[in-house]
Amino acid sequence: MRSSFKRLIACVVVGLVSVAGAVSAADAPPEIPLTIDKNQFQPNEVKVKANTPFVLVITNKSAKAAEFESKDLRVEKVVPAGKTLNVRIRALKPGTYSFLDDFNQQATGRIVAE
Amino acid sequence: MGGTFVITLREGFEAALIMGIVYTYLQKIGAERHYRYATRGGLLGVLASVALGVLVTALSGPLLDLGPDVISLAVILVAVIVLTWHGYWMQQHARAVKGDVQRRIDEAQASHRLWIIGVLAFTGVFREGAETVLFLWGLLTQATSPSGWASATGAVLGLAMAATLGWAIFRGGRHISLQRFFAVTSVFLLLLAAGMFSTGAGRLEAMGVLPQSSMAWDTSLVLDDHGVVGGFLNGLVGYRARPSWLEAGSYLFYLVVAGALLFRSGPPKPRARAPKGQIPAHAA
Repeated sequence: MRSSFKRLIACVVVGLVSVAGAVSAADAPPEIPLTIDKNQFQPNEVKVKANTPFVLVITNKSAKAAEFESKDLRVEKVVPAGKTLNVRIRALKPGTYSFLDDFNQQATGRIVAE
Repeated sequence: MGGTFVITLREGFEAALIMGIVYTYLQKIGAERHYRYATRGGLLGVLASVALGVLVTALSGPLLDLGPDVISLAVILVAVIVLTWHGYWMQQHARAVKGDVQRRIDEAQASHRLWIIGVLAFTGVFREGAETVLFLWGLLTQATSPSGWASATGAVLGLAMAATLGWAIFRGGRHISLQRFFAVTSVFLLLLAAGMFSTGAGRLEAMGVLPQSSMAWDTSLVLDDHGVVGGFLNGLVGYRARPSWLEAGSYLFYLVVAGALLFRSGPPKPRARAPKGQIPAHAA
């Protein structure tokens, strides 16, 4: 029982790592900068082309960690203070997708795909 | 202060619920001396959360972009597996509750390896743990002004409140019957696992691993999943205001498959065993 459980976990890990590899090996889509500073997103409205994947380059300039979260985009990412990270977003249908800083919920914004 | 209180209460609530349930479970099966499985699992969860929090702060580049996602997906998958396993096991026992108490307990400890309890406690704490660590850390570094202190205090009180709720479950859970406790918690764990399963599927969808699907419904005007109530429901039973078809479908899929496993019709029949020295009637 125990060893089969371990084997299962090992399979899960191998699967996830290959998934990560496959995702990072894809073509480079356009990068869209987004900054968190003074408890706000800059800009707080991001316009993107619909049906085209893109990368959000999120920089946290504030002194504390932020969490970029969007239930619409299925993204939940902690951005430590002073760090920059990339979030790949799949091609979006035309529409509005909201996001917020889950650690500081006054900071909100939205992505408009058109 | 109120804002940070709600955030840590929400992050800590799931962990507190699971810890409350596993301790009550051990108490119910008369395995108080095995509380250490839950305690160690929970403590390891806290240590892993701090370690991941430190690691995330130190990482950069692609590791920071994808590392935490891969870890959180792995935790979700393991959590779904152990929750299902444990829920299934409790359901079996809720049914087979008649009979000699001591035999039942020995059986429980033998058939349900107690280390599963440790894994359950670990994943329960670790799932939102690193996030909470980073959140608290940020607040504490800002706690130089009165408003900074108020925020940090609110966050600590939120965690304390979550822990109190977990304790209340443990206290209250001791007074309800074993059968009811098992039945109620196995349903709750089923919904919790369904929510996680669907979240995992959604993450894979967003990462481009699973095919993209359109929005199944939009109830964000009625109950927003970023709000206080919606946020709690999201953590506990996987409520989503704007799920994709894939997420809604995987939620349902999990519920049907795991539900069928848990609630198969009728109690498990005890194996009829002929007393020694007698020939069973049908064999004669």
